Amino acid sequence: MKRSTIIFVVVSMVIITALLWLLSAQGQVNTLDLVHTGVIFLLVVFAVFLGISRVRNTRRGEPQEDELSRKLLQRAASISYYISLYIWVALLIVKDRVVIDTEQLIGSGILGMGLAFAITWAILNSRGLQHE
Amino acid sequence: MNNRIREYRARHNFTQEELARLVNVRRETIVFLEKNKYNPSLKLAFDLARVFSVSIETLFFMEEDEKLGIRN
Repeated sequence: MKRSTIIFVVVSMVIITALLWLLSAQGQVNTLDLVHTGVIFLLVVFAVFLGISRVRNTRRGEPQEDELSRKLLQRAASISYYISLYIWVALLIVKDRVVIDTEQLIGSGILGMGLAFAITWAILNSRGLQHE
Repeated sequence: MNNRIREYRARHNFTQEELARLVNVRRETIVFLEKNKYNPSLKLAFDLARVFSVSIETLFFMEEDEKLGIRN
């Protein structure tokens, strides 16, 4: 299966799951839930952007991925891994001071990891990898 | 490290898309290379040099060498 197809399948699953979660909340949505929804929306936009650029590359007769795109993903993954460690430590500190559900804590951590990856990728994509 | 990809692409009348297809990379990679935002792998450097029929040293050079007037 083509990588772009996988991206769109995953995006569809994320959207469906998020909609099911919002529907099951039955109007009882707090501020943190709204923040989570916003982050999910941002990550979906990021994934759709990646998917569309891959499809565009294929239509132009270029490879979907090449050495630069792979290196950008690898570098973004390694940097965001370190950032994620700090996110989890920060959440553990917050947990001791604020009343928060375990599900919301884990959700915040997972979305924080996704956001860290997307932001790192965007920064690397604009700055380039000259000294790598 | 610096390069003369833009210069040689203009000499050969290639668009960025055409050059990308010739060396089997995305157009964005050619943009990054021309802006000096990415140092290519040895394979891509060889492919680019082959397309322009020049040596790798002609296409890629160190900025320090350029400042010292050492030109391949």
